[in-house]
Amino acid sequence: MKSIQVFDPAMCCNTGVCGVDVDQQLINFAADVDWAKQNGAQIQRFNLAQQPMDFANNPVVKEFLERSGQEALPLILVDGEFALAGRYPNRVELARWTGITLPINEIKPAVGSGSKCC
Amino acid sequence: MKFLDQPPRFLFFTGKGGVGKTSIACATAIQLAESGKRVLLVSTDPASNVGQVFGVTIGNHITPIPAVPRLAALEIDPQAAAQAYRDHIVGPVRGVLPEAVVQGIEEQLSGACTTEIAAFDEFTSLLTDSALLTDYDHIIFDTAPTGHTIRMLQLPGAWSNFLEEGKGDASCLGPLAGLEKQREQYQAAVDALTDGSMTRLILVARAQQSTLREVARTREELAAIGLTHQYLVINGILPSIESTNDPLATAIHERELAALHAIPEALSALPRDYVTLKPFNMVGLDALRHLLADTPVGVKIVVEVPIELDEPRLSDLMDEIAADGHGLVMLMGKGGVGKTTLAAAIAVELARRGLPVHLTTSDPAAHLTETLEGALDNLTVSRIDPHTETERYRQHVLETKGAKLDTQGRALLEEDLRSPCTEEIAVFQGFSRIIREAGKKFVVMDTAPTGHTLMLIDATGAYHREAARQMGSNSISHYTTPMMQLQDSKQTKVLIVTLAETTPVLEAASLQADLRRAKIEPWAWIINNSVAATSAISPLLCSRAANELREINTVANQHAQRYAVVPLLKDEPVGVARLLELAAG
Repeated sequence: MKSIQVFDPAMCCNTGVCGVDVDQQLINFAADVDWAKQNGAQIQRFNLAQQPMDFANNPVVKEFLERSGQEALPLILVDGEFALAGRYPNRVELARWTGITLPINEIKPAVGSGSKCC
Repeated sequence: MKFLDQPPRFLFFTGKGGVGKTSIACATAIQLAESGKRVLLVSTDPASNVGQVFGVTIGNHITPIPAVPRLAALEIDPQAAAQAYRDHIVGPVRGVLPEAVVQGIEEQLSGACTTEIAAFDEFTSLLTDSALLTDYDHIIFDTAPTGHTIRMLQLPGAWSNFLEEGKGDASCLGPLAGLEKQREQYQAAVDALTDGSMTRLILVARAQQSTLREVARTREELAAIGLTHQYLVINGILPSIESTNDPLATAIHERELAALHAIPEALSALPRDYVTLKPFNMVGLDALRHLLADTPVGVKIVVEVPIELDEPRLSDLMDEIAADGHGLVMLMGKGGVGKTTLAAAIAVELARRGLPVHLTTSDPAAHLTETLEGALDNLTVSRIDPHTETERYRQHVLETKGAKLDTQGRALLEEDLRSPCTEEIAVFQGFSRIIREAGKKFVVMDTAPTGHTLMLIDATGAYHREAARQMGSNSISHYTTPMMQLQDSKQTKVLIVTLAETTPVLEAASLQADLRRAKIEPWAWIINNSVAATSAISPLLCSRAANELREINTVANQHAQRYAVVPLLKDEPVGVARLLELAAG
């Protein structure tokens, strides 16, 4: 199974509720990640405010930050390669990348919008 | 003193700035050491004067106090602890990641949570280090962690995630994620804190209604998470003997009796001690030995000529405030310095001059503003209670955005929502509606967000502006964020309120530094409740007045671009007439 790495912007926590604006995308994505993991997916999240070394040590991520800035986060890598940036993937995308096969009605994509957390 | 009766190993003193908890902690340490116990005194006061009190330089390592056998002291600076934590995270990527990214990370780590957790991290080693426990019979802290910090450490769900996933996936562990300590150590620290045979919590307050209300809330919050062994110390009581021949002293004495008579129910059951106001500063061993003693002070009070204070009064600031005809006036400062009273006085004075004013307050009691409702033609009054506002915000988030979470996820979200940052944000959202009115009239507020919150809010604002620009919206040029409004001195005047005492002045200075970081320049300082600005004749009050002069000088020469001194009043300034008197200085 492929592994997914999520590089989050600087925030206090993955739900983002102690930020200035609660972002439904973050709450949904936290739940989606949980769902995907329960189905066997390998997903790692890195918070810029807590693990900046993981950003600096990955050439793809470092270059992305230099080119597009932290405003362009999150960045999602699949098996180390650029997959998505600027928004979080939904369940359909997570399922496709990791090869999770489930009845379509069990895959509810994340909804909602807002600015990034904290 | 009841709180000194069979003391357990750990003693925590808690209370807000200026109530005298450091002095009482020092006096306790001396008393225990002189009774033959080996004592370690730990201060986390950012304005720690423990070293000054004992005449030694202490700092961030255990230092024996030569003058007191068996006593050693240690100062933890929470800001320095937070800075060390930031350096630990940010240092390795400085110069590696783009500068803007590094700055963004630092801002994220500048919040109250980081400071609190970083300081608590230093605590835990003191609570669990077995060598220290062998060396000392008592460890005395001049502060205590908040309920939020302790709950965060107790949260089993968060911890199990944290341990299973390595890092990053725990929910709002926030700053903890980068700390070195192990789960067992935090657990042991929390166990020690909640064990009554090991830990006693001493709440320190003054005989003032607002202070007692706040202490009652702290008492309930800490009791709810297991710190049930609490004592109450009322500090700074004016001895009744002082009220002979001095109307001001009489009034203060009566006010204190009334506040104690109406003590909140949550506090009335606690073992309670009283410490009387002393005429001298709590510096030096002799002074501290006398603090907890009921015996008459051996120091003879020299009554000087009453102090003639020639300092600017509030009326001097009023003309300048009124000149623009509209604008936002924010009173900022720590709890208990009198922001609500001064906001009401300014609002009433502006209304008297025929200017339209909206006074909005976050004081849950707000007895001042209740009496003002409908009292003046140009004045409207509204109230934003931080607790109501925060509760509404939490419920809203849980019902909307947390609706689809499972039980564990919901519990984590609920705890995250108890973060101190949440309250500030919830309250600010309440206020931001009202701020907009300041283009047409005066808006006077008795509270304001910190620089840190403003910068986070502004990051959101910048994001929205960018989005609008990309969509080619025409309305961009009219779009101002609350931050832009607050930074503009033509639209906003920030008044910092403080007392003429060491800790409150230092706290106000750090508030000013925080605002400057957000590019907001405070317009003026108000030194409230000054005894020096009265004509008190009671010997004790006179000597307090003399002690104030140094602090007033510090504010005038080092901190404020303009300032005013407001006298301690005989009667509580309730009602239009008394508020006008206050504003007239």
